[in-house]
This record gives sequence, structure tokens and C-alpha cells, in this order.
Amino acid sequence: MGFFRDLFQREQRTDRRIADESPEPQEPSTRNLSKNIDYILYALKRTEDLKVRILKKGDAALLYFEPLVDQEKVQASIFTPIEIGKVDSIHEIPNAKETRNLEEAVNSLLRGHAIYIEDDNRRISQFNVTSVFNRNVDEPANEKVVRGAHDGFVENIMVNINLVRKRIEHRDLKVKFYRVGKKTNTNLAILYMEGIADPEVILKMEERIKSIDADKVQSPGYIEEFIEDSAWSPFPQMLNTERPDRVVANLMEGRVALFTEGSPTSLIAPSTFFMFYQAPDDYNTRWYTGTFIRLIRLASFLIAIGLPALYIAIVSFHFEVIPDDLIAPIKSSINEIAYPPVFEALVMVVIIELIRESGIRLPSPVGQTIGIVGGLVIGDAVVRAGLVSNVMVIVIALTAISSFVVPSNELSTTLRLLTFPLIGLSATLGFVGLIFGFLFIAVHLTKLESFGVPYFAPIAPLRLTDLKDTFVRLPIFMLKTRPKDAHPLNDKAIEDSRKWKKNEQQSKKP
Amino acid sequence: MSSSQKNLKLTRRQYFFIIIQTQIGVGILALPFDLHTAAKQDGWISLIIAWMLLNIILVFLWMLAKKYPEKDYFKIQEFVLTRWVGKTVSALYVIYFSSVGILILLLYSRMISLWVLPNTPYWVLSFMMITISVYIVCCDLITIARIYTMFSALLIFLASLIIYSVKDSKLMYLLPIASNGWGGIITGVDKGIISFLGFLVTLVIYSKVEGSPKDKLKTILYAQFTVFLFYLCIVLVTFTFFSTKEMALVSEPVLYMLKSYQFPIVARIDLFFISIWMVFVATTLSSFLYMAGLGLRRMVNTQQNKWVVFSVGCLFFISSLFIGFDLTKLDRFQTYVVHGGYIFAVGIPLLILLISLFRKNRNKEKTT
Amino acid sequence: MKRLCLIFLVSMLTLTGCWDQRQFKNIKLALSIGVDQGSNGEIVKTVSVPTVSGGGDGGQINETIQTLSTDGHTMLEARDKIDRMLAHSFNPSKMEVVILGEDIAKKDIYPILDNYYRNPNSNLNAHLAIAEGEAKDVLSFKGGGEARISEYLKGILDGAAAASRTTGENLQMICAELVEDGEDFTVPLIKLNEDDNTIKFNGLGLMSGDRYSGVKLSAEQAPLLMLMMGNKGRVAQLTKKVNEHQKEEILDYITVEVMKYNKDLKIHPSEEEVRVDIVLDLDVRVIEYPHDHLVSEKVIDDLNGKLKETLTTEAEEIFSVLQEGNSDVFAIGRKIQAYHPKVWEKLDWEEMYPEVQFNPEINVTIQQHGIVN
Repeated sequence: MGFFRDLFQREQRTDRRIADESPEPQEPSTRNLSKNIDYILYALKRTEDLKVRILKKGDAALLYFEPLVDQEKVQASIFTPIEIGKVDSIHEIPNAKETRNLEEAVNSLLRGHAIYIEDDNRRISQFNVTSVFNRNVDEPANEKVVRGAHDGFVENIMVNINLVRKRIEHRDLKVKFYRVGKKTNTNLAILYMEGIADPEVILKMEERIKSIDADKVQSPGYIEEFIEDSAWSPFPQMLNTERPDRVVANLMEGRVALFTEGSPTSLIAPSTFFMFYQAPDDYNTRWYTGTFIRLIRLASFLIAIGLPALYIAIVSFHFEVIPDDLIAPIKSSINEIAYPPVFEALVMVVIIELIRESGIRLPSPVGQTIGIVGGLVIGDAVVRAGLVSNVMVIVIALTAISSFVVPSNELSTTLRLLTFPLIGLSATLGFVGLIFGFLFIAVHLTKLESFGVPYFAPIAPLRLTDLKDTFVRLPIFMLKTRPKDAHPLNDKAIEDSRKWKKNEQQSKKP
Repeated sequence: MSSSQKNLKLTRRQYFFIIIQTQIGVGILALPFDLHTAAKQDGWISLIIAWMLLNIILVFLWMLAKKYPEKDYFKIQEFVLTRWVGKTVSALYVIYFSSVGILILLLYSRMISLWVLPNTPYWVLSFMMITISVYIVCCDLITIARIYTMFSALLIFLASLIIYSVKDSKLMYLLPIASNGWGGIITGVDKGIISFLGFLVTLVIYSKVEGSPKDKLKTILYAQFTVFLFYLCIVLVTFTFFSTKEMALVSEPVLYMLKSYQFPIVARIDLFFISIWMVFVATTLSSFLYMAGLGLRRMVNTQQNKWVVFSVGCLFFISSLFIGFDLTKLDRFQTYVVHGGYIFAVGIPLLILLISLFRKNRNKEKTT
Repeated sequence: MKRLCLIFLVSMLTLTGCWDQRQFKNIKLALSIGVDQGSNGEIVKTVSVPTVSGGGDGGQINETIQTLSTDGHTMLEARDKIDRMLAHSFNPSKMEVVILGEDIAKKDIYPILDNYYRNPNSNLNAHLAIAEGEAKDVLSFKGGGEARISEYLKGILDGAAAASRTTGENLQMICAELVEDGEDFTVPLIKLNEDDNTIKFNGLGLMSGDRYSGVKLSAEQAPLLMLMMGNKGRVAQLTKKVNEHQKEEILDYITVEVMKYNKDLKIHPSEEEVRVDIVLDLDVRVIEYPHDHLVSEKVIDDLNGKLKETLTTEAEEIFSVLQEGNSDVFAIGRKIQAYHPKVWEKLDWEEMYPEVQFNPEINVTIQQHGIVN
């Protein structure tokens, strides 16, 4: 019986593809070699890097894109088996993938495969001989940690998934592939833990990915804007990260990670505001330290968006709030400044942004120099020239530093942008304007949703138990449940992991 | 808004905070003064009596809401009072809620103008406030509830500032008790109840809250107790901080009290207090905006939330412009609205409750 | 369309805005203000306005102080006149000290302070003091080691409050006692000493109703009064004579510091007579007593007794001074009103107060005597 079943089923088995390609146009190959070659050449617009090697005295041809293939692989996987005489014909080589569809052959050529066609034979053999150039899985420059894993994603999606799978050796980790971009045909993958991630979120994610209809999809940044909930909001609604450990931690909370070919950045959805303030470092240090650092980071949010506005409100509306002992120093520093404080603040913010931007673009030794020259020399000169008061320099410098404390680059940019409306409001209405500004931001954050999940969780909606990993970081063994905001199907993350303590105590008792 | 969240009911915690946020608002600054003008140093007794009376009223409102657990207040009106009478009453309610909203807007602007920004024109202050309220209200009730819950954390801040001033209070100023007779205390009760007037919100959104009626009643009473405690705290602290004669001079005793403190880092705590107080004004205004909007939506049977809220907001803004900072007009308007509160928050609901009892009997007779 | 509206509104707000802007740099701060009695019922107002400059590049902060004086019918008229003499305008919202001249303090002081109570920007945390002589002279004083007269005055007053010589009350706290019946307060007195070029704290002026009675308590009596009122500052030191005719005069005295105190004030009112019993228990630490020998119980008991005797006598003196000034700083009247309202209605407190019988009793217990015996 088994034998027969095998027989039948073997017919049906095909290679699993990594992505569900849309039904490909079918073009059956012919028995005529030159016709086949002509068809392929025509389909590829007679591009000149397509190499056609005629073999068997004109009876067979090997086609491949020269820049895409690795010559050594061609040698090893196609010619070596023939030479050592293991097989008689190239068609017989076992690692070949066969087809009779010329369109498929064209696509596999584009993927860097070599195809082998013989005259008088409809079979087309495809060999994976792509050359791959990968950089090392180095630690991402913008997400460095002191302790913890020092690897990072690279531009190859398979390597990236490898990094994740290595960390989650479990059958529930599910990968789904998609192809997006009509011309670029970019490979895109979503990863999630089946049984933890909310199916509704995954459904939403799939639906949104499928509705992308663009010629080109270049990077996660592209995709983010296609699939995020509120494109008009200044806040990023998906977390970008290049760190495998961060992705793994989020997958285990029931979130979905999205990778694209050609970019080391992965997107995580649904995200909440406070996720942007969690760094892998927090979990590698003592929990007191982790809590302290996290509180500092959250305070940096308020400083980054509010400090210049607060300062302006004070010196141009409510100087009464300056305590008596500070009156003279502040007064003396701003007394002879020609411009109003708003203008001072704007000048300084723009200077800082210029320095930052030029520092990024220039090669790193020069960039550092520019930073120092810009920061020290301009800062000092501007104060001496009486354009900007030294208190304002302190305020703006503190603001800039605070905005870089956020472990996420996108949020950091957002924060620096949000400073401006607040400065404007507090320069018109003082504290009243500032409070309105903060109110708007708070209400906006509460209204915002990321894949149907409230963005400002666990503050709004309030969930007291989830605060344990938001403002503070309690010891890991106390983080027993997953945060509710991602709607995980399975709440329990950690069972009682310090049972040994009870056991020890019991054993001590007589 | 995702479909899964659209029909979520409010949790009782959210209900609790909505009630608190609706009630604590513009009034807290002037409440001690109002009580004091009526009842002198015995104002706090009036407040306690007012709170006790209020609990009885709330139980009646709850009884009405419990009878129709699936209907919000406007639908109850239509059901009990028949369609057209109900719609007329709903229209009156929309007018009432709007007037309260306008009053809040006016009082808030006056306070800011008095204390912080004396030269800023009225329209700027009220415009900012109405914008933020429209922005809060033009989404679902559940989001409103989330926002309110979040902002309630600021209550701790306000309370701690007030409690800080206890260090300079002299209990002596509360004495002698009831020296001016009970007449003043009874007039004070009127002022006390007025300070709780936002309680109608318990009835309006009752049907959108999950849980058994009994639990909901508990939530309502707890919320009321919290508000009462906060008020009592304010009243007692200010009454003991200021002498009896001095109270008559300061109309915003809470701010006045904080004005004289200086911490090492900041001076003039009153400016911070009033800034945070604005958040509570915004939530109170939003509640009334929401209720007015809901009434209008029920009246014209539409689901278009955004536009209704937007137009009601415009109505608030434009009609408040007619009064502006004008003190006498404002006072007259305030008297009308505040006393209208008795009719709308106590009179009509009780009437509807009576009619519904009668109707039920009649229905029973019909069926038998 | 929506966005266009938004941009329009935002720009309207920001472009027409800044109604209430008061640039800090354009404001002259009046940190201390003095008020004197002028001729023809006018008042003379003196302000000291510091102008700071040169803090820009981390260098020395240079301060020049202008002291301006002018007369006017009201406080704000005088302020207006001062404004005419100043670059920019002056602002009292950070004022630290208000000094009243002795003469004007003897009139109703509320009208002078009214504009500070009325203006939301004013600093009610300021100190009030009465100058013996003219406030103008005090504010014009140069020297004292402090750059600014306001800082000097504030330092003196803060120091006095810390040493339990004054209540340390600010304008706001005084207000309650100013307007309330049956409750008076004390105001620190300061005196300009021309000879040795200093300003000093010179006792407490007793207020009677809303005016200065002209009667004062000396700086030495002040700590005991503060202790009886329950207003201990950071430290309270008492130096008393406990021996007679020792070899050196210095040996006659003992200085103690109060560690803990407990006061008990009982009022026994009736329509004819009001009796007030004050019991003050002091736990003290001897901080100077060159005699030494503080080991034996007898010596300590002896000292306790002597201190009790001296302090009780002194307390009696204090009460007689208070009654002379008709200054009810213990708020006895208000307390009668609060706890015995029926009696209060029948009392004419102004008349009654000087007749009140005060029975102070001050018990002293020496608890520590430093690190030598």
C-alpha cells in the first residue's frame, strides 16, 4: 500500500517556493534550442551581460548573467560532476531544478541562476550559482550596546532570518514571504510566533502588504509609509531595529517582524510609544540600573520636546517663577542679547541640526572634527558675540543631547521636530500655550493606533501591570505576563522560575 | 479605529475617571470662595450635606438608567416621553449642555486673563480651549475615556500641592462652628450641589459601561466620593489657611494660597497649578461637548460624529464671543445656567423616572 | 482645505500673538521697596533697582544699583513716577523685602500693601520689616559686605527667622492677621547704625490692629516670645544670667540651646476677666557655661531652677510689653471667638486685652551639656 501511495504522491510533490509568486505567465519550452534561446534573449531585451555558452558542439547551451553568478560555483556544480564522471549529462545532475516553462527560466536567470538547455529536449535545468556578497554580521552602528549580543542584521534577508531562527529554535516561529514592487521584485518576509501573535494583526499586516502596488520598494522606510496607520502623524508607528535580539524579544511578545531584501532594518509592528524607549541594554544590567536608565530616558523625552519652550515661556512671560537666587545670573546673561529668546532658540536649534547633519555626511574623522569645531567654536563665539545667551546655549545643548538618548533614531528626529511647534506656542501664550501643546501631543498619542493597537499603551488605556516594564524594569522573573498591548494569544511568558528558592528554604527546615 | 475596538464597552475604571474628570473642572478654584460667601467658615459643612443629598439623587438617576440598560439617556427620553416630546426635551438638553460648555469656556478664559495673561484677547484663549476639546471629542467614547484616565494622574499633582499648604493652616479659623446659624449653611448647600453638577454624565453614558448595575452604582458612588474628598480637602485647606475675613477678599483662594510659596527650584507655584488646572477644564469642557454632540446626534439620527462635534464646538466658540470678559453678563448667564442645572440634572430625570414607573404599570395593565 | 485652514489659523495665532509678552531682559527688577511718610499726607517710595551686565562670556557679573526715591499719593502713582526715571520699566514681581518707615507704619498699613495683594504678579513671599527711622535711609545704605541691599536685608531677616527671633512670615501670612479681629502680629524692626556702618535686626515691632503700636520687644526677648508662640526657627538660643557677682562677669551667664519645646496655652475667659495660662517646657542643651562641673545632679537641678525663675520673670515682662502695645500676638481674642463665641460677643476686646491676666510658667530641663562637663 505504502509503496503505491508514495508513487502517487511523489508526482504531486514540488519544490516549495519561498514566496507565493503571482501566477506566472506560462510559456512552454520547445524542442528547438535556438528558438528557446531566442525567446529568452528577447525577453531579457538582448542585454549584453547575459552570457550564452554553447556546449556539446552546438547541441546545448548554458545561459547565465555573468555579473550575478559565481564562476567557481558554476565549475563546481555543473562541470565537476561531469568531469569526474558521476553523471553522463548535465540534465542528470541531481541538484538541478527542472522546468519546462521558459518564463520561469527567465525569472530564475534574473535571480542569478544558470540554465542549461539541450537541443531536442524540452527540459530546462536550473542551477543555483548565484554569487553572494555579504558583509559581516557586525553590530549596527546606531544601536550599540555595552553588554549583550554584538551582531546585527545585514542586507541579505536569508542571513537575517537565519539570525532570528538561531535564537528561536521552536516550531512556532513562522516565516511568510511576499514579493513586492512590480519592477524591483523585492523579497519581503514577515516573522511571527504562531500561537502568540494576534491573528488579527497578522491578517491586517498581510492585507496591507498585499495592497502595496508600486514599481519600486526600496527599503523598510518605503513599506512603513505604505502600511502604517496614520501617515500624517509625526510619530513612528513601527519600530525599526537592526538588532536580532531586539527582534526576538518583540516576537516573543507576540509582535510581527518584517524584513526586506537589501536592507538590514527590520520593522516591528504593532509598536507602542514606550517600546521606543526600551533598549536591549536594560535587560543586561541589574534591574535597578535598568530602571534608573529607563527613567532618565523617559525624562529625556520631556526635556527634548519641552525644555526650550519652557525656557522661552519663563524668560518672556513668567519670570516670576525663577527663584530669587537665580535671578541675577539669568538676568545678566540675557540682558545684552539683541534678539528675543524665540529667535535665539531657533538660531541655536538650526545650528545644532546643521552640525549634526554635516557630521553624518562627512567621513567619520572629519565628521568628528566638524562636531567639535561646530559645537565648541560656534557655541563659544555666538555667546561672545552677544547673539545668543549662554543660558540658551545650555538649554539647547541639553535638548539636543536628550533627543539623542532615545534608542531609536526615528523617534529622535520626531522629538527634535516637535520642539518647534511648542516653541511657537510658548512664545505666544507662555505657560498656557505650552500646556496646550503638551495636551495636543498627549491626546494625539492616545488616539494613535498601530495595527489596531493603542499606541500609548500601557498609559492609555491604563494597564497597571504592564507598567512593570515601562517606566521601571522589574527583575526578569517578575515579568511573568506579556504586555497586553500586542494582544498576545498566550499571556504567560515566564512561569515560576525561582522555585529553587522555595525548595532551598524548605530543605533548610528540619 | 479597528473594528474590534469599535464596540468595546467602557470599563468601570474608565467610567470612574470620566465622572471625576467631568466634575472636577473650572469650579475648584472658586469653590471655597462661593461656599464662604454663603456660609462663612461653615462652608465645609454645607459641602458635606450637599454630598449626602447628591448620593440620594445619584441613586435615583441610577434607578432610571438601570431600567433601560441598553439605552443612553436621550434614547430613554424618546422611549419614555414618546418620540416628539422626547426629541424636544433632548433639544432642551442640547441647549443646556451647550450653555454649560459656554459657561466653562467663559469662566476659564476669565480666570486665565485674571491670573496669567491679562492682555490676551478672549477669542485666542477660548479658541485654543475649544480646539483641544474638539480634538479630544471627535473620536470614540473609549478613546475619550483613555485620555481622561491618563490625565487623572495629574490629580495627584494638584492634590499634593494643596496638601503641601497644610503646614501653614490654622484650625482655629474653622471655629466657631455654626455661629451664624443654619441659614447660611443651607444656602451653602446650594453652592455645594452646584459644584457637583457634572454628575449628569453618569446617567448619559451609563449604558456604555460594562458590568452589573450594582457594580456600576458602586463605581458612581466611589467616584462621587473621590470628587467630594478632593473638594473637601481644598475647602478645608483654604479655610484654615485664610482667616475668615480674608476669605471674603480672595475669590480664587487656592491660587492665592499657592502664590506665596517658593520652592528652591521654582517660585510662584500658582502658575503651575493653573496650568495643570487647564487640563481639567479641557476634560470637563470635552465632556459637555460630547454630551451636547450626542444629544444632537440622537435628535437628528445621524452617526456623523466628527461633523456634529465640530459644529457644536463652533457654536460654543461663537456664542461665547458674545459675552467675552464682560463681568455682569457673565454673572447673569452663570446664575441662569447654574439654576437650570437643577431642572435638567435633577428635575427632568426624576420626572422621567416617575413617568417610566407609571408607564410600566400601565403596560402591565395592558398585558393582563 | 483642512490643512489650509489650519495653517491660516496657526499663522494668525503666531503672527498677531505675544500680547502678554514681558521680556525678562527689558525689565528692571525692584528687589527691595521702602515706603516712608512724606509731607502733606503723601508717601515717599524708595526702590533699589540692580542692573546687571557682563555675564555674557563667563566673566565677572557687574552690578550697579540705582536707588530711586519719589513721592506720590498712592503706591502706584509713586511707581509711575519712578518709571519715568528708569530705562525700561520697573517691576516689583520679584521683590524680596518691603521696608516701612516707622512713621507710616503707625498708620493703617493695608492701603500701602493693597496693590501687592491685588496684582497677580506680585511676590507675596516677600518679607515685611519696619525701619526705625526712615526706610529711605536703609535702602540707600551701602556696605555690609553684600552687593545688594535687598540681599543684605533678606539675609538679616532670614537669619533672624532661623534664630527664632522672628516668625519669618511673608506678606501673605501677615494678611490673615492683618484683617482678622482679635489677632495681631509682630514685624521685625531693623535699624541703620550710622556709626559702625551696619544695619541690624533690632527687635520686634508690635502691631496693634492694622498699625504699628510703637512698642517693641528687644532682640533678646524675641526668642522667648517665639518659643511661647510655638514658632521655633532652626535654632533658639537663650543667654541668661544665673549667678551673681562671680569673679568675672562672664561667669554669671549661661547660654542654652533649645532642643525640644512644648507649649500649652489655656484661656479661661469670662465676661469680667480673662486669664491665660501658658506653660512652656523646654528641653535644653548647655552650649556655654564656663563654670563647668555640670556632672552633679544638684548643680543641674539648681541651674534648672534658676533658669526657670529668670525665664518666667522675663516672660512676664514680655506680656506686659505686649499689653502695653495692645498687641494680641497670641491671637487670644480669635481663640476666644473660636472656642467661646458667646463670651466673645460680650467682650470689647480692645478694652479688655490690656486687662488680661497672663500667668506664664517656663520649665527648663537641661538634657545635654556638650562634650565637656
